[in-house]
Amino acid sequence: MTWQLFWQIFLFGVLGIFAVMAVLVTILGARDIRKLIRGLKENDEDRENE
Amino acid sequence: MTEAAKEALSQTNFGTIDLVIVVVYLLFSLAIGLMVKRYAGSMTNYIGAGRKVGPWLGIATMTGTELGLITVMYSAQKGFTGGFAAFHMALIAGVVTLFVGLTGFIVGPLRRMRVLTIPEFYEKRFSKPVRVLGGILLVLAGVLNMGLFLKIGSQFIVGVTGIASESAALNWVMVGLLVLVLAYTTLGGMISVVLTDYVQFVVLSFGMLLASCLAISHLGWETIVDGVTTQLGAAGFDPTVEGSGFGWSYIFWQIILAGFVGCAVWPTAVARALAMESERAVRIQYSWSSVSFTVRFLLPYFWGICALVFITATPAGEDLKALFFAPEGEQAPLENLYAMPVFLGRIVPPVLLGILVAGMIAAFMSTHDSYFLTWSSVITQDIVAPLKRKPFSTKSRVRLTRILIVLMGGYVLYWGIFYKGSQDIWDYMGVTGGIYFTGAFVVLFLGIYWKRTSSLGATLGLCSGLLMLFGLDPLQRAVGLKSGPKDDAVQILTEAQIGLITVGIAIALTVLGSLLKPDTERTAS
Repeated sequence: MTWQLFWQIFLFGVLGIFAVMAVLVTILGARDIRKLIRGLKENDEDRENE
Repeated sequence: MTEAAKEALSQTNFGTIDLVIVVVYLLFSLAIGLMVKRYAGSMTNYIGAGRKVGPWLGIATMTGTELGLITVMYSAQKGFTGGFAAFHMALIAGVVTLFVGLTGFIVGPLRRMRVLTIPEFYEKRFSKPVRVLGGILLVLAGVLNMGLFLKIGSQFIVGVTGIASESAALNWVMVGLLVLVLAYTTLGGMISVVLTDYVQFVVLSFGMLLASCLAISHLGWETIVDGVTTQLGAAGFDPTVEGSGFGWSYIFWQIILAGFVGCAVWPTAVARALAMESERAVRIQYSWSSVSFTVRFLLPYFWGICALVFITATPAGEDLKALFFAPEGEQAPLENLYAMPVFLGRIVPPVLLGILVAGMIAAFMSTHDSYFLTWSSVITQDIVAPLKRKPFSTKSRVRLTRILIVLMGGYVLYWGIFYKGSQDIWDYMGVTGGIYFTGAFVVLFLGIYWKRTSSLGATLGLCSGLLMLFGLDPLQRAVGLKSGPKDDAVQILTEAQIGLITVGIAIALTVLGSLLKPDTERTAS
């Protein structure tokens, strides 16, 4: 395999995987944000109660 | 700047609609910062987002931080000068990050110890003086490292928007961006950083994918390959050949720099791991981030390659050729850093260009706020707090951190205007960052995996990183390690060789110091 072909496969392979990952992170990351805000709110309330 | 250069630089697709997109996006980011300000009360929340970041948000924030505008610029520069051969660094970054994700190498034990910063690990593992020393070296290296960020980021903005043709534009854009970042970072700390990193991930990942597809369809794959072959020959594809600007010592250096250091030792990346909710989340974050650690180098390298081909092998870029390539013995009118933004400004259509520029400015802000936050919190937590005899309240810590952020802002503006080095930006960053990471990589690795590592060994290992200063262009020239003009310089030792030697010395000194003076039970505890 030549370097040229190797880099071509590498570039297009990574582009494909990254496209899938971008969709996944967009959807599941939004869910994590909701969890994060909820957790910080609970922290806030605990501190106020103390 | 000549009239021809001004005319060439002002040709861009960036218009009013793009400007509106950028402004709306930035206002949206600022609004997020304001909304989450109320949660930034405690130090854990301010610098560690309450250790409540889930794995998918972790991937977004890791990517958001590490895929900064500065990364895009220095990587494009490497693609422009090195062609496809530069891809080896992206490959290394991805493989090593995946290895860290699968094994938990370094970051797993750090997360288990529940430390917030790497110097905090030094104190838990060794002693307070090692923590303070580690903190000082970390800040010295980190602050030097980010010295050129503001200037390089601004060069992208003025290049892609076409305002590079105005002589004072660069300085004004630097000031404007700096004010924006400072206002934003001092507001919400890590929580706002994490949230805007997510927005940035979404905008930038799709924007970068689209821009890459556009570049291929605009130039054609065959033209790209032929263009690189004509300009660089075999060296444009094979990173091991002489004349590629890389070679074996460079590749080994990249395994440390773009590989292990980039994901497992560099504090901004580690800070993300330490903010995660569990070690399992850290491993998922790293395994998936191996893709984005590859992409953050790969796509900008590719854009740099496309810019090279656009300028040298297509009629549309003909007017740019004289600006980036001067006759032998003369200096080109424009730095090659401008090549990629000018290329994007010409091939990406309006609206998409606006979204891409907004994403890049967000990337710029995200990198800056993370770096400002990381270095200032290291000074507060790892240098000032351990040295204070009186109790140091949370309120005072957050206030000091914010003051330090503003001071650092003044420094990057000063450094961006006055530093005159001639090496590639990636190599500059490798050298300055190396002051910290050559020693830290060894001390972290041995400190975690070799029980006998002692405080003296750690101190010697960390101090050996100072040898990396000899890799800086002005210092290399001052001590005779380098001579001649930029494009034809003679180097006795390259930056990569100095880096490898420094790592070797750090290992030897850490082991030697640990064997000569082991920690007693008391100091070790």
